[in-house]
Amino acid sequence: MRGGSIYIERTSGLHRLHPLTKVALTALCFASAAALPSLAWLLALFVGLLLPLAIWGRLTAAFLKSCLLVVGPFVISLTIIQGFFSGGETVLFRLGRFAFTQEGLLAGLTFAARLLVALGGTLLLMQSTPQAQLMQALTERGFPPRLAYVVLTAIQIFPSFQDRAQVIIDAQQARGLELQSGLLSRVRLLLPMVGPLILGSVMDVSERAMALEARAFSSPAPKTSLHSLADSPSQRILRWLLVLAAAALLAWRLWSALQ
Amino acid sequence: MMNLRKEFTTLSITLMAIGIGINLAVGTIVLRLGLPLYLDSIGTVLVGALVGPWAGAATGFLSNLVWTLTGLFPQAFAWAGVAAIIGALAGVFARSGWFNTVGKAALAGIITGILSAVLSAPIATYVFGGVVGAGTDALVAAFRAAGLDALLSNVAQGTFSDPLDKLVTFLIVWSLLLALPAREKARFGNLPVAAGRPLQGKTRRPAGKKTAAKKAAKKSTRRR
Repeated sequence: MRGGSIYIERTSGLHRLHPLTKVALTALCFASAAALPSLAWLLALFVGLLLPLAIWGRLTAAFLKSCLLVVGPFVISLTIIQGFFSGGETVLFRLGRFAFTQEGLLAGLTFAARLLVALGGTLLLMQSTPQAQLMQALTERGFPPRLAYVVLTAIQIFPSFQDRAQVIIDAQQARGLELQSGLLSRVRLLLPMVGPLILGSVMDVSERAMALEARAFSSPAPKTSLHSLADSPSQRILRWLLVLAAAALLAWRLWSALQ
Repeated sequence: MMNLRKEFTTLSITLMAIGIGINLAVGTIVLRLGLPLYLDSIGTVLVGALVGPWAGAATGFLSNLVWTLTGLFPQAFAWAGVAAIIGALAGVFARSGWFNTVGKAALAGIITGILSAVLSAPIATYVFGGVVGAGTDALVAAFRAAGLDALLSNVAQGTFSDPLDKLVTFLIVWSLLLALPAREKARFGNLPVAAGRPLQGKTRRPAGKKTAAKKAAKKSTRRR
């Protein structure tokens, strides 16, 4: 995939929500993925909460596509591994001495649905929130600003690294490097390809650091932000409710596990 | 805690950002080459070796956060702790001089790989139901078929692929440290003085018009 973001710009209510409200929503998805007991409940949450949110954010097609891309491989692996190896009475079919059971299939699909809910919540957050806004919101709540800088810079320079890597690949191919050669020779190709990329960028570090210092990066004085995030009292209440719901779900799950 | 402050200067913060960029870029190159490795921690190990364990740990942790934030690999955050430990280990190994010789660097890579396999397996087993949603799941299936239980199959799969991956990662970082001018290495101050001593003619240096000048600069700083 090209670039370092799956954010999709739209004008919608979901996009206008404060980033932390959406983070709280994702937290609820994680708690539900861990706590909900059955496949039906998990799918109901996906169809009843995540899908309407995606429609509200006018992201339906992109959201479903990313979910499929991310969770699809898990569905395949999980149904095969759980179907064959988690035991059960109802044999659907046999492959040699291994039986594929209905109980195993259900266990695999339930696990896949848990991942769908948790990763779906994450994908929806990232598709409706610019990374810079998310990091700004986190920084305002105590996330170290220097680490936020690291995260955002890494995301920004990733595409330029990809361009640089492409230039190196092209240059080495022009010198006779074959990408379709045997496995061992491809391993040997690794160093001439990643070497120039990494050494070049490490040499740039001091220049970048000086540019930062010249802009008071390590100054202890309070800094103002060009952009401000819109928040509202109702969203603050909503956030607390979401966090409480997530905590209640986890507590209920723990309680029923102990029974 | 003294070290913690020392490892988060503006210079090392900048290097950490570059390190994460390297992780992402090399991770995608490796995918294009179609190698059976991940090599998504070269930047983490490089930062750990140059700056120290704390910076290495932060780079590993934030790398996985960035994989999640970019949406390229949203499940990565589950392994952020393992990535942090890999970075910290690289810092400790480098500080104790394990990057001085190729043999020790290789051994450090294998140790790190085994540890990362053991730490990753419970996450794959209990968070993801025993799979990672990639080609290596075929190995897990093979181990399950051979009669191992869920956790052991994931440990076995990990010890099959992780030590090799980290061995190659550590060897690449070792050769990068050889090629990096002493001036750049001394800036960060984690490596002992002898680290990355050039073995004449044994590594391939990236070609460029500045190479000869850099070589000379390296020699003069070393003999000061």
